[in-house]
Amino acid sequence: MREKFSQDKLDRCISCGYCLPACPTYKLTGNEESSPRGRITLMRAVQNEKLPAIDLLQESSFCLGCRACEPVCPAGVEYGVLLEEMREITWQGKNRPIIVRALFLIVDSKIGIWALGLFSPIAKRRKAQDDLHLMYGCFERRLFPAVSRAVAKIAPEVSCSSDQGCCGALHAHNGELEKGKVMARALGEKLPGTILTTAGGCAAHLSSELGPERVQEFSQWWVKRELTLQPIIESGRKIRVGLQDSCHLRNGMGVFAEPRQILKELGEYVEVPGSADCCGAAGTYALLQKKNSRKVVSQKILDIKELNLDYIVSVNPGCTRQLASELKRARVKTRVIHLAQLVAMSQQTTK
Amino acid sequence: MSAADLATKLSNLVGSDVVRSDAVSLQAYSRDATPMFEGLPEVIVAPRNTAEVSKIVKFAHDTNTPIIARGAGSNLCAATVPLNGGIVMSMTKMNQVLEVSKSEMIAVVQPGVTNIDLDELVAKEGLRFIPDPGSRNVSTIGGNVATSAGGLRGLKYGTTRNYILGLEAVLGNGEIIRTGGRLVKDVAGYDVTRLLVGSEGTLAIFTEITVALAPRPEASKYGVAYFDDLASAAGAVEKIISSGILPATLEFLDNTCVVAVEDFAHLGLDTNAGALLLFGDDGDAVSIEQSVNKMAEIAKLASGARGVTLAADIAAADALLYARRCSLPALARLSSMSILEDIAVPRKAMAEVVNRIQDIGKKYGLRIGTFGHAGDGNLHPTIVLDKDNKDEVRAAEAALAEIFALPREFGGSITGEHGVGSAKLPYLEDLIGSTNMQLQRSIKKVFDPAGILNPGRIGS
Repeated sequence: MREKFSQDKLDRCISCGYCLPACPTYKLTGNEESSPRGRITLMRAVQNEKLPAIDLLQESSFCLGCRACEPVCPAGVEYGVLLEEMREITWQGKNRPIIVRALFLIVDSKIGIWALGLFSPIAKRRKAQDDLHLMYGCFERRLFPAVSRAVAKIAPEVSCSSDQGCCGALHAHNGELEKGKVMARALGEKLPGTILTTAGGCAAHLSSELGPERVQEFSQWWVKRELTLQPIIESGRKIRVGLQDSCHLRNGMGVFAEPRQILKELGEYVEVPGSADCCGAAGTYALLQKKNSRKVVSQKILDIKELNLDYIVSVNPGCTRQLASELKRARVKTRVIHLAQLVAMSQQTTK
Repeated sequence: MSAADLATKLSNLVGSDVVRSDAVSLQAYSRDATPMFEGLPEVIVAPRNTAEVSKIVKFAHDTNTPIIARGAGSNLCAATVPLNGGIVMSMTKMNQVLEVSKSEMIAVVQPGVTNIDLDELVAKEGLRFIPDPGSRNVSTIGGNVATSAGGLRGLKYGTTRNYILGLEAVLGNGEIIRTGGRLVKDVAGYDVTRLLVGSEGTLAIFTEITVALAPRPEASKYGVAYFDDLASAAGAVEKIISSGILPATLEFLDNTCVVAVEDFAHLGLDTNAGALLLFGDDGDAVSIEQSVNKMAEIAKLASGARGVTLAADIAAADALLYARRCSLPALARLSSMSILEDIAVPRKAMAEVVNRIQDIGKKYGLRIGTFGHAGDGNLHPTIVLDKDNKDEVRAAEAALAEIFALPREFGGSITGEHGVGSAKLPYLEDLIGSTNMQLQRSIKKVFDPAGILNPGRIGS
């Protein structure tokens, strides 16, 4: 069990505060302790034994883990890693939220993963290229099986193997960093060659452990295929479509131009204000911090409504779920759809 | 009074929802952006309006409790570290722009508005807020005024002090004053407004600020010149200004800084050059075309020149400026600690001073990256060191003392734009003289008889 932070990672922060305006929880509260810089100050206090580790519990839970602070940090602080360490230090024993414990229980076992896919019509098992495997994702296979089916449909070269466990992103983000790394490596062995994933969160975690050359998020991979997509026409006009970035995909892997490029082919692309800002799903956050999660997403829902979009596109299952339920609650007609599904709806021709 | 009592009494005064005194909150406010300074406050309070500020200060006065107003806590002179405990008053809830008057070219703001938010708002009216400190994305107008923040436009446009027309502020006894107003011309009485600008929260706490705006320039143009060393770049700057051009921007970085910035921003900068000079101007399209081309010409022909490139478009220019603003944090990537200096010297002495700084670095075997506002002689030598290497820390202290002696030798200042805070206070009297220092102490007593406003800083 971890007790200390990586000192070299703490040392990186010079407390300049350039991260403050990028932080959703700082925006909500205006409180220093709810900012990346403030949290690092707290981590240092724990490291130097000025505060007991348990005092980090609240802030480690309040932080979305969206990593919006990383791209704006000129000093190169790896806040995402520090947050994972913070949760590893604080979310132990009874301090680990019961929902997280339950989720671990499910994805830690073969039976659990199997059960997630039960009666869920995911892409059928098939052998195609040996060096390109579709990753189902644990919760995507349960909640949005159509996503893997869409990928299988548009990309016959992709192999779909049923023997794959959790990538460990869930663990890494929820207080089991080391285990999360082990699981990523294990998945890397089960799926040789390039792992294709439709979940931004999984992509970033896998990529940090296996290396970016082994992992391709769907939009990254698609733009390299050099296919022209025909615009999707509904009610006699091109669809109006916006994007919600996946935080870890954007802030962790620097992938944000690719999905936009694809959407510009598929319809009338509209940049939603704050599309790069966290939607409040943030992995388990929407389950653990319901109220705050809804506060974070509220403006976004109003913006989407205002823009009168046909589709809001997501590249991560957590975001899909969050946006779908909040849009429904607000009675907004805009449909939430994964990028792969929208691509599957279009005619494709070779460039 | 005990910390618990303080929190209770403040809660009764302004409501418990804006008062915090738990260990975590206090810890978070124990420092600002200055390394090596830390102190725990006893309570944090975040007032919503002037009346609450007044009540809180009155309470601090009556109970003899230190009180520090804080914006974003991005200052670099330890001006907001609560070294004496007491109250930290966070101004971030007072973050409204109350008025933008296009015809008067002014804005009235609360102190917690960030610099960039104000500038972006007035941009919609074709106006601009001139002061642009490196921290403009995060720093607040209140903080800018309290330190008279500078930035990249100082040479042509001046700094924060040139753009503050009026203030509403709370004195050390809780009374509210208004100084100045909305006018460019106003000589009624002592210029208290100007006195409060740069007073670092020691004389009064700002609750409303009236700023002068400027028209947004029609065009801007920037370029980059490379040199063998910083002294050559300084020489080129001297030549540019002697030629009669007063450009908006003349910024330079030495090789250490260029490498660090390139590492973060990936702009394709020449990392082999000994120094980079970022030059540029803004105004009407025709005249800036002339002035920027002329600067490029001069830079090309200056001794030690290695080449000049002009930014292709606004995006490229913005990227350059942003990269320059990030010099300090980018330097911090190089090691576990960076100590930033902020000296200002007359421009004609700059080439010699930068050479002296390099010599000092060599003498102590230290890595010193120097960047700064070459146009106004404001230099930021930055020592990057391993904080756990005791020998290096000692060497850095000795080197800093020598760097610090340079402004006095050349008729400069120990701080150009960061402020005195706690970091520079021990050296202030030496620079300004004992009579002036005594005057500053007397002024302090008039504004804050109980000595509660940011105690231990200017005039104590």
